[in-house]
Amino acid sequence: MIFPKRSVIGNENKLLRATLENMSQGVAMYDAEHRLVTWNERFVEYLEMPDAFLGTDKTFSDYIRYIGKRGEFGADADIEAELKKRIALLDRSHMFERLRPDGTVLEVRRDPVPGGGFIAIYTNITARKEAERQIREDQERFHATDAASPVGLIIVSRENNIIQHFNRSFSEIVGREQNEISGKPIGSLFSDPKQGAELTEIFDSPPGHPSEFRFDRFGRECWVMVSFAELDYRNSKAVVASFVDITDRVQAEDELKKAKEAAESANRVKSAFLANMSHELRTPLNAIIGYSEILVEDASDRGDETSIADLKKIQSAGKHLLGLINDILDLSKIEAGRMDIYLEQVFLSKLVTDVKTIVDPMMNKNDNKLVIECPEHVGSLRTDLTKLKQNLINLLSNAAKFTKDGEVKLTLSRIDGEDGIKHIRFDVSDTGIGMNEEQIAKLFQSFSQADSSTTRNFGGTGLGLTITRHFCTMLGGSVEAKSSPGKGSTFTMILPDRIAKPVVLAPAEPRVSQRTNDKGAIRVLVIDDDPVVHEVLSATLSREGYEIIHAYDGGEALQIMRTSQPDIVTLDVMMPKIDGWSLLGIMKSESTLQNIPVIMLTIVDDRNLGFSLGASEFMTKPIDRTRLVELIRQFSHTKNAVVLAVDDDPDVRGIIRQAIEGVGLVAAEAENGRKALEWLDKNNAPSLILLDLIMPEMDGFEFLDEIRKRKDASSLPVVVLTAKELDDHDRVFLAERTILVLSKSAQPIGSIGHAIAAIAERGAATAHRNKM
Amino acid sequence: MTKILIVEDNEMNRDMLSRRLARQGFEIAIALDGRHGVEMAISEKPDLILMDMSLPVINGWEATEQVKANPETKTIPVIALTAHAMAEDREKCIAAGCDDFDTKPVDLPRLVEKIRTLLAQRQTEGL
Repeated sequence: MIFPKRSVIGNENKLLRATLENMSQGVAMYDAEHRLVTWNERFVEYLEMPDAFLGTDKTFSDYIRYIGKRGEFGADADIEAELKKRIALLDRSHMFERLRPDGTVLEVRRDPVPGGGFIAIYTNITARKEAERQIREDQERFHATDAASPVGLIIVSRENNIIQHFNRSFSEIVGREQNEISGKPIGSLFSDPKQGAELTEIFDSPPGHPSEFRFDRFGRECWVMVSFAELDYRNSKAVVASFVDITDRVQAEDELKKAKEAAESANRVKSAFLANMSHELRTPLNAIIGYSEILVEDASDRGDETSIADLKKIQSAGKHLLGLINDILDLSKIEAGRMDIYLEQVFLSKLVTDVKTIVDPMMNKNDNKLVIECPEHVGSLRTDLTKLKQNLINLLSNAAKFTKDGEVKLTLSRIDGEDGIKHIRFDVSDTGIGMNEEQIAKLFQSFSQADSSTTRNFGGTGLGLTITRHFCTMLGGSVEAKSSPGKGSTFTMILPDRIAKPVVLAPAEPRVSQRTNDKGAIRVLVIDDDPVVHEVLSATLSREGYEIIHAYDGGEALQIMRTSQPDIVTLDVMMPKIDGWSLLGIMKSESTLQNIPVIMLTIVDDRNLGFSLGASEFMTKPIDRTRLVELIRQFSHTKNAVVLAVDDDPDVRGIIRQAIEGVGLVAAEAENGRKALEWLDKNNAPSLILLDLIMPEMDGFEFLDEIRKRKDASSLPVVVLTAKELDDHDRVFLAERTILVLSKSAQPIGSIGHAIAAIAERGAATAHRNKM
Repeated sequence: MTKILIVEDNEMNRDMLSRRLARQGFEIAIALDGRHGVEMAISEKPDLILMDMSLPVINGWEATEQVKANPETKTIPVIALTAHAMAEDREKCIAAGCDDFDTKPVDLPRLVEKIRTLLAQRQTEGL
């Protein structure tokens, strides 16, 4: 473009002016003499030129000097040198950038024009410069992080799996040089093609979840955690993926797992070894204990007292060793997690009696007095009997061991737990040597008695309390010790009265083992799903010298009855699985069970049903304990009961006789009321009278009136057996005077044998208390 | 005289048990393994069997099952003798049909008590 001189006036000039002012650049033109001939507003604005300066009398040198003075080239710049440098450039086109003191950046371009002079064009490039700087900084930042990141990063083209970008960590993770990665397909990085395929498979899976990827880096197994995201990279689909080296972690986990397995296996081996070894140790011990016992027997036959004393020492040492072996076996089972729990209802007063029998000799040895404080109705708890017993024996024998000429006290009490669960508290206190705090702290640790001299002086393995504590924990309870030296010790064991979550349920094993060796005792089988009933009956009946067997459901009851017959059964009606009625039915259908007297315990008073099914007696809950004891006493010695059948029909009498004799009772007959009264005059009172109502000479109603008048016969139990349709008046009359009315029409007479026998067996004494 | 069959492979246990029970006035028969025990239960008709559980040929549980399965011998009470007082052993004994069990080493007065109880029971049942 040629700019005409300012002197040229006309349309062209106007056009030029308009063009200049519309330009986004600053423009200044100089003539051959370097005089400023024309300029535009942008020039004034960009360079902040005052109006006073602007004019055709000013030269390029004036301009440079002016802006130089203003500080445009820096505060200390040599203005003349700057000027000289610029003038030297004017004969040719040139361009440079000027950073102005206010921070703006101008691109300055100067072009010579034909015929001399030049034109200077100023472009404001501040914004562009800023953008460039930002891009540069972004790039620098990216490179810095990309290079410094411990995470391997790559960008892989979706189309051909070519690696478009990667960082240093990636090349380190895969163990490849830059030239082996750049522009190569991802699969080429792995010696095993399967591994490359696996990685591309990961990229094809839905993104979001990191995947673990295993590969070989020159023979070394490596693990990485791979995450990825989809990305548009250079206008095509790509994947940006990160690789975190988790080889160390995986190896550590592996080692941990191996170590754990090794430890577990070692523990199993240890347990097996201990179990085996204790078995192997027991066998010779068996011989030591057994033969020393035989020798004691021989020696006492000979009256050889010296030998007896020595042999008893061998025997007691053997038994002691056996105890130690048992302890070690127990502990190894606990530690191997192989100690099972068998829950059953444990009646505390019986437990205390049993424990007392066992620990009494230990108490006597050190002249200690054993005091037991157990509330009368302390009841029962559902727990593992063997373990609880072992704990008590352990605590008591410890107390006996560390106390001389003193007192050992066992106190039982019921306490309420925080969670509403009832607990039983056992305190074992003694007046023995006591312990200091340090000793208490070590108390429950394996193989650690108060001090090593303890073992020498008092014996024991030091395992007893450890086992006690383990057992307590297993049973959902705790054990603690309180003591001070010289003032005795108190061990407190607290157990829940039922374990919330039993580890192993008690087997439905017949509880024959609980049988006492009191051969004379009458055995009462209590069948009830409610532990409270067992508790109550147990407490009541064992005081009376009866032996109690417990069954918690019908199935268990049958199993017990079939293996060892009880003398009497008390049976609950409402039970899960097999109810009382069904159980009664089963019992009466089995020849070995049908003669066992059954006392039904029920909330529902349904006597007729019960008697007709063969129940011997009824009691409604809540149970009157005194009455129950009497009932059981009745049943325990009445056999050979006589039943008098009063009926005018000889066939009926025959059937009744058969029924009565069929259940082992003695039958007597009378053909009417009068004959029956005569029979009563001549014989002892029968256990039961079976009475027909409609008879010649003296009918049943009259007979009942008569015998109620007699002092000796007024309490005789009478069961009415009738075909008569009874009216209300009859019912009231009979209800006052008899215990049961059976309808002949509703029931074949022959089938009532058991009912008759059952009632007869109750005997006269019960009957008069039981008028309906 | 009451005859007790002892089925036990361990010589010392056998010796001790037989001597001590003989002293208590029992007549003793001896079997060395499970099969022998089952055979002798038939041939000797003992009043009671003391059965070790870990026996050669057939073990004590199996032998007891066979004794209890045979109508000729099923009424003979069997007391299992186990080395461990483990509950699972106990259950297995009962399941096999044993009438009672005791642990080894044998506590003689306790064992004799058990023997007498079972014998008395059998007598009552036999009436």
